[in-house]
Amino acid sequence: MAGILGVYANLDSLLESVEELKRQNFRDLDVYSPAPRPELEEAVKPPISPVRVYTLIGGLLGATFGYWVAIWTSEYWPLVVGGKAIASWIPYTVIGFEMFVLVGSLATVAGMFINSRVPKLTLTIGFDTRFTHGDYGIFVRCTPERASAAEALLHQYGAEEVRSES
Amino acid sequence: MATIAPPEVRRPNLPSANVPLPALRDYEQVDNEIIATLKPTVPWFGAVLVSVFCMLIGAAAWTYQIYWGLGQAGYAPPVMWGVYIVTFVFWVGIGHAGTLISAILYLFRAGFRTTIYRCAEAMTVFAVMTAGLFPIIHIGRPWKFFWLIPYPNWRLIWPQFKSPLVWDVFAITTYLIVSTTFLYVGLIPDIAVLRDREKNPIRKRIFAVLSLGWRNTEAEWRHFARAYLFLAAFSTPLVLSVHSVVSFDFAVTLVPGWHTTVFPPYFVAGAIFSGIGMVFTIIIPVRKWFNLQHYVTLNHLDAAAKMCLFTSMVVGCAYIMEFWVAWYSGNPYEQNFFWNRVFGQWWWAAWIMLLCNCVLPLSLFWQKLRRNTTWLFILSLFINLGMWYERFVIVIPSLSNEFEPWQWTHYLPSWVDMALLLGSFGWFFMWFLLFVKQLPVIAIAEIKEIVPPKMRVHGGVGHHVAAERSASAQTGGRH
Repeated sequence: MAGILGVYANLDSLLESVEELKRQNFRDLDVYSPAPRPELEEAVKPPISPVRVYTLIGGLLGATFGYWVAIWTSEYWPLVVGGKAIASWIPYTVIGFEMFVLVGSLATVAGMFINSRVPKLTLTIGFDTRFTHGDYGIFVRCTPERASAAEALLHQYGAEEVRSES
Repeated sequence: MATIAPPEVRRPNLPSANVPLPALRDYEQVDNEIIATLKPTVPWFGAVLVSVFCMLIGAAAWTYQIYWGLGQAGYAPPVMWGVYIVTFVFWVGIGHAGTLISAILYLFRAGFRTTIYRCAEAMTVFAVMTAGLFPIIHIGRPWKFFWLIPYPNWRLIWPQFKSPLVWDVFAITTYLIVSTTFLYVGLIPDIAVLRDREKNPIRKRIFAVLSLGWRNTEAEWRHFARAYLFLAAFSTPLVLSVHSVVSFDFAVTLVPGWHTTVFPPYFVAGAIFSGIGMVFTIIIPVRKWFNLQHYVTLNHLDAAAKMCLFTSMVVGCAYIMEFWVAWYSGNPYEQNFFWNRVFGQWWWAAWIMLLCNCVLPLSLFWQKLRRNTTWLFILSLFINLGMWYERFVIVIPSLSNEFEPWQWTHYLPSWVDMALLLGSFGWFFMWFLLFVKQLPVIAIAEIKEIVPPKMRVHGGVGHHVAAERSASAQTGGRH
């Protein structure tokens, strides 16, 4: 979707723009920052990251697999030792734990990728390489009718450069 | 008339939670200075050549051993674990400080980790890669290694899941994968910086693929921060489990000197201690040769040295505990073994261990020495030596002096053993040196979190509110 891109040198200008854009009902925003800043989260007020759900499910699946593979193997290929249990949960906890960590970690990263919409092998519209260097930015997705209002607002709140992207 | 003496000028004794970087002014400076470290130099090429040469010596020795058989290693029955297992445990241990610094100190919000954690994390990955070679070398027929992996097969033989050797396979593999993932995830935003600054089209394309199209949006940072936190939370118990599992290789046997419940915490503490030693060995030349003294400041090294001192004392306590338990047990085999450890055949190895790991690190009680990079570097070499000998003292004397006196024997590493030990250092440093010239050795994104963001100078609507927010955020960290 087309929109207006604003480039900012200062963090406070960016925060004010975000707040004003939200007041004026521009909801579809991408806000850029060279480093993670807690102020951005306060201004954007996003929902809680759902990555934790991936972590939990991945961890539980991993632990289940770890115990299962050890127990199933023992039953399939039993080593009978003087009255001792063929499948013993205490040593298998090591395998369960390692699988819990492994699958949980990979699921966490998968959750981050899915929610962040990466990998993207081509950089799409609404991005400027200055955002990975030292500048801040906002990309406002809007209809052509509201584009001039968004552009004026970004200028008013201190954007150093404003351009239309489509 | 009495005069008031001027206040004594003291060196700063900063809390390690918040170590400032006053020389850093803005984000552009951070990018420029860290990216400048990626330019190859003549000394760097020289160091890579030396590392590759050492690695080739190890590779040649391994080839020789594969051709002539495992008898070329210095094994002398019943000493069937020798330099390979000693070196395996050593390198696994080296990796632990990386995870301690990158994950555990992250959870504890220890600010001094920020500038050294990337080096430490890379060190972890390469150390575990190195460690993983040694069980494969040790089994003699490396092409049979896959027998340890559980999968349906025609030979109908499965791994014995009650054996610590199989736990090792799972623990080390998990550790390698999770450490590499942790390193890579932290690198993604930094690779995006490189992508957008790179002029060479081939390198730019490689960085574009590796950065996965990262754009620094607020949503990306939010999910990144959450994922990073959970990865740190996973890595923390993982690092404790890995060396505990390695210690089980020894502790579940009945061999005197090995059969003890103190081994898991003792191994974990030793691993962290040895890893911190290797961090100093790496970070001190890196900060000097890359002109990064204003990133890795003396305050950072001072804080890391305190951690080194603490872990040294934990290790010393574990040594004392071993001797005390041997005495208190009343078990003559155990008592004889520990007497033999320090006054018998291997006395010199034990005293090298005690001197390097327990005595020399006590010098770090003096702040002057904690802030002396030359001394820290020299001490780190002694710690590396001492921690290799710690594993030697654990493995060799126990096997060469078991229960049956007629079995008591002597063990001497062969040239193949020593060449493979040298090769392991070559292999490790080769990867590390290649890393430091391809990817940022200091985490750009995390340094930018410390640097104050640019604000409008002349005020404006809402300026004060934003400035206050920023000031409060300085103490809040990433979340």
